[in-house]
Amino acid sequence: MTISPAGTEHVVAGLHRPVRRRPRLTSVRVTMLLLVTPSAFLLLLITAYPLGYAAFQSVHDGTLITGGSYVGLSNYGNTLTSAAFWDAAKFTVVFTVVGVFGSWLVGLGLALLLRSKFPGRGLFKVLLLLPWVVPVVVSATSMNYLVATSSSPMPKLFHALGLGSPLFLADPTWAQVTVCVYKVWVSFPFMMLMVSAALSSIDETVYEAARVDGASSWQQFTGISLPMIARSTYISWILMTIFCVNDFPTIYLLTGGGPESSTTPLVVLAYRTVFQDFQVGPGVAIAFVMTLILVVVSTLLYRQIRKATYQ
Amino acid sequence: MAKNQGLGHVGVSRRGFLGLAGGVAGAAAVSPLLAACSSGAATGSGPLKFWDMPWGGTAYSPAAKRLTEAYQPATGLPTAQYQQIQWANFTQTFSAAVASNTGPAVSTGGGFQAFQFASEGAIAYADHLIDTFKKDGTYDDFLPGTIEAMKTEKGYAAVPWAIDIRVWWYRKSVMDQVGVEPPTTWPELLSTGKKLAAQGYYGFAAGAGAGQPIGGQQMLMMMVNNGGGIFNAGGELDLLNDRNIEAMEFVRELVSNKIIDPRAVGYTIDNVNSQWKNKKFVMGIDTPGLDSILGDTSGDLLVMKPLAGPHGDKACLTFINNIMMYSNTPSQEGSEAFLTYYVKNMKTYWQQNLVPGLPTLKSIVALPEFQKQKNKVDVIQDWQPIGKSFAAQATELTPALAKIDSGQAISSFAQTMFAGRTDAKAALRTFQDALSALIK
Repeated sequence: MTISPAGTEHVVAGLHRPVRRRPRLTSVRVTMLLLVTPSAFLLLLITAYPLGYAAFQSVHDGTLITGGSYVGLSNYGNTLTSAAFWDAAKFTVVFTVVGVFGSWLVGLGLALLLRSKFPGRGLFKVLLLLPWVVPVVVSATSMNYLVATSSSPMPKLFHALGLGSPLFLADPTWAQVTVCVYKVWVSFPFMMLMVSAALSSIDETVYEAARVDGASSWQQFTGISLPMIARSTYISWILMTIFCVNDFPTIYLLTGGGPESSTTPLVVLAYRTVFQDFQVGPGVAIAFVMTLILVVVSTLLYRQIRKATYQ
Repeated sequence: MAKNQGLGHVGVSRRGFLGLAGGVAGAAAVSPLLAACSSGAATGSGPLKFWDMPWGGTAYSPAAKRLTEAYQPATGLPTAQYQQIQWANFTQTFSAAVASNTGPAVSTGGGFQAFQFASEGAIAYADHLIDTFKKDGTYDDFLPGTIEAMKTEKGYAAVPWAIDIRVWWYRKSVMDQVGVEPPTTWPELLSTGKKLAAQGYYGFAAGAGAGQPIGGQQMLMMMVNNGGGIFNAGGELDLLNDRNIEAMEFVRELVSNKIIDPRAVGYTIDNVNSQWKNKKFVMGIDTPGLDSILGDTSGDLLVMKPLAGPHGDKACLTFINNIMMYSNTPSQEGSEAFLTYYVKNMKTYWQQNLVPGLPTLKSIVALPEFQKQKNKVDVIQDWQPIGKSFAAQATELTPALAKIDSGQAISSFAQTMFAGRTDAKAALRTFQDALSALIK
């Protein structure tokens, strides 16, 4: 007879037939069940119920007030065949890829720089954290101040350098560049912290041994630092991917999704569809498709974490 | 053995846990019913909830609260309780409250909110109240066209309390410096704009960036000014009419002559206001309270006379801000009594100059405090009589207007026009297609 790890399933030798033994309802178990009930109830109330109602809305043609009539999967069908959805999906990918890898590269670079000891290093660390710490409303307003009008500092600087007069928020391509740069700006401190923490966990003797073997700085970086921080890196990528895909305020405050929808990611499209166009079913369908994509991407990255762990 | 016990140790199986979760889910499913029952009971008693938007500066809301709390209801009727609602996400706030029967009994709100909620059965029509106004003379005190704008097939969706108009403004000192006079026609607007552009100024103040609705309203006002509009007289979408195309071709001409700031596509409300303050914007379409919003007391910002389009048409865009009553109320009689009190006492806002909007009552226009405000008096005299609604060339306001006013289509259209890369007909066709899908 084999006992399963959970201790609840028994396999009778020869028959290979699982036999379930009903757990006894002891006073301890009753107490535990009672203790878990409020949490389970709250969890269901604040997560499962809205999720269930959103699923209901996505297959109905209701309004913000009424449920509407059942329309099957037509909201999903319309979403997946709409040009606006695919334009938003493309921009979401661009915004996320630039946001994740841009902020990671900047964060990695600064984390490596901050490993060396120099006067005022603590102050620099604090200053470099500011873009992440400052509320997004403040930093978005600051970014607007930097680029919006012809008398803003950045257009003046570009003009002074003979680089023309870019329309940072008014030209579709420049607006995409601006929001991506802004995203990197507000996100790199998080990456810097993650990488710094991972780098500090590497034993210095490993580098010493590598130096004794004649490894160059680049070889130490690619052969020791990067592999040793891989797990932390994948985790930070997953988190930043979720942050970027779900990033509503950055876009909404800076460009509102314009000009001409060029900076509209899926999350803003879903919001605008529900709360500005009052198309509740299609908007919720967009949100569900977005969530599905996010789950797939996160799962893929999570598998990378497991690989990195086993390596 | 007592410490670090996992789920398996206490014997809660997955099935057992799912059973528990199922029970809790059942309770969760019942909770909305309980909520509905409890909110239903709330309609019969308690104070009357009045939700109000921040219509003015910081002094407005305290004044509105005082006005509400000063209400002394007749015996048996509920008192009123003031609640300010922020403009940010106000649609969600109202919708969630109305859907859960926890919303207000009376409220101000978005210009088309009453029509939107009326179509969902959440509004108490004001016909009885309007009849009362007709009997006591209040009806005749309303400026022409204001109450009529609230009328739908089923009745009056709300009661007007303030007028919001889009009018042309100009900065006199810069105009004098450049040596130009305020234009009175579109051709003059073009020639004046060119002279201003030559000096580094913009003759058509515009903005269509994040959270900025003025751009779409400016485009619609140009269409209406030229005898066009979103709808035809029968209420059907009619964006591709000749007048609209002509108006938008004119806008393209303004863009190509740099009379419109090329960065306007991305301008927020703050950006537009700062361009006015910095005197980069010298002429433009804006709200009737632009001078007070900018804090300009110099008398340098003045309201123009209405411009005549190429065919001689003169018109502007008007929004009637209104107070609506909801079917979910402790007392319909109480709602009407409070609204009557409010309309008859709201003059305090204009006496104290607390709101940038214009009054809907002739008696308030006649107040000496209001008559001192030259720009607002000019707007009432010159612009209010030629006002047309968002529904132009149709006359009746509909729930669909809320989708158009707040929607993505009109802001994208304004951005397209200000960018100046697309010809007018193509831009209008895209706009029409987007609206067709929206209001089908």
